[in-house]
Amino acid sequence: MFKRIQTGNLIKTFIFFAVIFYLGKVSDPYNQGQLSVVLMYFIGILSITFLTGLSGQISLGQGALMAVGGYTCALGILNLGLNYWQSIIFSVLASLVAGWILGITAARLSGPYLAGTTLVIALAIPSLANRFESVFGGDVGLNVEFGAPPQWFVNLIGEIGFEQWQLFATLPFASIALFFALNLFKSRTGRSWRAVRDHEIAASLAGINVQRMKIFTFVVASGFAGLAGAMYGLRGIVGPSVYPISLSLTLLTGAVLGGLRSIGGAFIGAVLVVFLPDLIESLSGTWEIALQIGNYLPAMVSSILLILTVVLNPAGIAGGLHHHKSRHK
Amino acid sequence: MNIRASLSRKKLIGLTAVLIAGSMTLAEIPANAADPGVSATEIVLGMQLPETGAASPGYNKVDDAMRAYFDYVNSKGGIGGKKIRLEVKDDTYKAGLTISTASSLINKEKVFAFIGSIGTQTHISVIKDINRRKIPDVFVNSGFSDFYNPATYPTTFAALGTYVTEAKIMGKYLKEKYPDKKIGILYQSDDFGRNALEGFAKAGLTFEAKKTSADFIAGTQGSVGLASQLTQLKANGVEIVIIAAVSSATAVTLLTASALGYKPDKWAVISVGSDATTFQTIAGSKGIPASMSAAMLTGLISASHAPAPGDSADEYVTAFKKINDDFNKGADKRWDNNVMQGMNIGYMATGALKGTLNPNSTFSAKNNKTCQANAKKATLTRVCFIDYIETNGSKIESAAFTALQYSATTHEAFSGFWIGAYDAATVLQPVSGTRVVYTTDSGNGPVTVSNYKRPAIAADALPKN
Repeated sequence: MFKRIQTGNLIKTFIFFAVIFYLGKVSDPYNQGQLSVVLMYFIGILSITFLTGLSGQISLGQGALMAVGGYTCALGILNLGLNYWQSIIFSVLASLVAGWILGITAARLSGPYLAGTTLVIALAIPSLANRFESVFGGDVGLNVEFGAPPQWFVNLIGEIGFEQWQLFATLPFASIALFFALNLFKSRTGRSWRAVRDHEIAASLAGINVQRMKIFTFVVASGFAGLAGAMYGLRGIVGPSVYPISLSLTLLTGAVLGGLRSIGGAFIGAVLVVFLPDLIESLSGTWEIALQIGNYLPAMVSSILLILTVVLNPAGIAGGLHHHKSRHK
Repeated sequence: MNIRASLSRKKLIGLTAVLIAGSMTLAEIPANAADPGVSATEIVLGMQLPETGAASPGYNKVDDAMRAYFDYVNSKGGIGGKKIRLEVKDDTYKAGLTISTASSLINKEKVFAFIGSIGTQTHISVIKDINRRKIPDVFVNSGFSDFYNPATYPTTFAALGTYVTEAKIMGKYLKEKYPDKKIGILYQSDDFGRNALEGFAKAGLTFEAKKTSADFIAGTQGSVGLASQLTQLKANGVEIVIIAAVSSATAVTLLTASALGYKPDKWAVISVGSDATTFQTIAGSKGIPASMSAAMLTGLISASHAPAPGDSADEYVTAFKKINDDFNKGADKRWDNNVMQGMNIGYMATGALKGTLNPNSTFSAKNNKTCQANAKKATLTRVCFIDYIETNGSKIESAAFTALQYSATTHEAFSGFWIGAYDAATVLQPVSGTRVVYTTDSGNGPVTVSNYKRPAIAADALPKN
C-alpha cells in the first residue's frame, strides 16, 4: 500500500501523541473522558474521510460498522476470554470482512443509492442484536469496559483515574490510525482513490481497477470504523442504543464540519461534535434555558453549522484554513 | 517540500521511548479529592432519567417532584445547615448516552451521590462504574432485582419493590381470581420485562411465545409491530393481558388495542407502567377526550407499594401534595404516581442524610466509631451514608406500606404491594374494598399478608432520623 514510511508523518504522529498525552495529564477527569471520545470519533470520522473525502463514496452507515467492531470486541472478551487489546485487533479483522462484503455491494452503487443502502445497514445491524438476543444481549447489550489500568502501567506512571486510563488506552490506537492515515493519503493507493473520486473513466483509462479500488476503500474504512466502535463500546456497554443511526449522522456531521478531505479536518470535526454540546450546555446554563429546550440545542446548532458549512465553506474548517494559508503565501 | 526517508526499527523505538519519557515528565497527576459534592453549605446529588424521548412521558416529572421536596427541606434550613441541590441529566433512555451523562455528573457536577435514577437498561451501562468509584447510587427507580445484591453492587439501593416481587404478588392474585381465564402478557424485551416474567413464573403463571406472550423492544412503543403482537394475542383468545412495560408503552398498547377492536376482559399492568395521568396525557395528545381515556382505564388492574395518589385520606398523600403545590417549579406539576414517587424519594433521601449526620445514629460495627465522630463534626462521607442506609433501612421513613428491607445481604427496597383497580375517576382502589398488602421476596418465598404498621408522617413532613 505504501512502501516507505515518511519521517514527517512519524514526527506528526509523535507530536499528536505527546500533545494528547499532555492534555490527558493536565485536564480534569471529565475532559479526559471527553478527549477519549474525541479520539474514538476521530478514528470513526477518518473512515468517512477515506470513503467520502478521498474516494467519493457516500456512507450513512459508519455507525453500523462501528457496531460490528463493538460487538466483536465484546464477544471476544466475554466468550473467548480475550483481553481487550487482543479483542480490539480481532474486532478490526471482523470489520475488515464486513467492509469487504459491504464493499462488493457498494462498488455497484453510487450517489443516493449507495447512501440509501448504507443507511439501511445502519438501521439493520443494531436490530440484529434483538433478533439474536442470546448472543448479542438484546436491547440491554453486553457489559464490557476498559476496566482498571494494569499494575505495570500504574507502576510506570503512578495512580491514574478511570477516565485517564480510558484516554491512555485509546491514544495508542488513535496514533496508529493517524500514522496509517497520513501515509495512506500520500501513497499510491491514496492517489488512486482520489483519481476514482474525480473521474472514474479517466482513472480506469489510467490503469486503475475502479471496482477493486472502491471495495478496497470500503475495507480500509470499515477497519477504522470497527476500531473506533470497539473502543466506543469499551466505555461501558455494547448495545443497540450505543450505535444508533444518530451516531452515523454525528460522524458525518463531524466530517463535513471539520473538512471531508483532510485528516486535520477529521480531528477538528471530532472535537466539535464532542465539545459543542458541553459549550452549549454551559451557555444554556448561563441563560437559564429550560432543559427541554436546552437538550435539543446541540443538535440544532450543529444542523445550522452544517448548512452554513455546505453553503459557505464546503471544504470545512480544515479546508478553509488551508485555502486561507495558500492565499497568504 | 516532502521529506521521504525509510526509518529503521532502531530509530522508531528510540523516538517512541523519547516521546513517552518526555510526556511523562510534563505534568504530575492530580490526586482525587475525598468525597466530592459536599461543602459546608451544600450537598450535590445527581440523577439521570429520560427527560425527553419516547420513554419520557410521566417519568420526566419525578425529578421536579424530588427537587420540590428538597426545596421544601432547604426552606426549613436544609440538613445540618447544608442545602440540597439536585443536578439532573437527560439520557433519553439510551444507554450510550447514560455513560456520558454519568461521567458529566461525576466529573463535572461532582455529585456526592446518584439518587433516583430511572431506567433499567440505561442504569446497567453505568452501575459498574458508579460502584467501582464507591459513589452512593441510592433509591434507583428500577425494580430489576440483579441490581440489588450488595456483593455485586455495594453502593446501589432500590426505590421500588423488585419486578419479581410485584409480579409474584400480581400473578398469585390473577391466578386465584381468574382461574378459568386465558392470561397473556406483553412485555418489553429487556431485563425489566424478563424480570417480570420470572416473577409470574414463580407464581405459576407461564406464557407461550407467539401465543400468550408477545414482546417488543424497549423504546419502540408505537411501532407497527405492536399492532401485530396484539392481533396475535387476540387471535389466541387471550382474555387477560398483562403489560410489563413503561407508562408510555402501556398508553400506546391500550390505544392500539382500542383501534384494533381488541377488548380483553382485563388489563393488568406492572406499577411503573400504570400511571393514569401519563396515560391520559398521551391519549389527549391523540385527540382522545379525558372522559373516554378514563373509561378505557376503568377496571385496569395494577399494584402499588405506596398509597394511590388519588387516596386523599392518606396523610402522606396530603402532606406531599401540599409540598408539590407550594414548591414544584416543573413544567407539569399535576399530582400523580410519578410526582408521588419523586416526593417519596426526596423524603427517604432526606431521612438517610439526616440519619448519617445524626451523632446518635448507629452504624455497622466496622464504621460505627468513625461515622459517629463524623456526624458530631457534621462531616458527610460516602462511606457513612452507604453504611447508614444499609444498617438502618427499616428506620428510614417512607410512604410505602412495607418497610425498606436494606441489609448487608440485600439492597432491595419494598417487599409489599397491594392490588387495585382503577375506578371511573382514575383512582386506584383496592380490589377487595379494603387495602390488603401482600409481601414476599424475589426468591421462592411464599406470598403472605403483611402486618407492617407504617409510621405516621410528622406535622412538618420532615423525617425524624
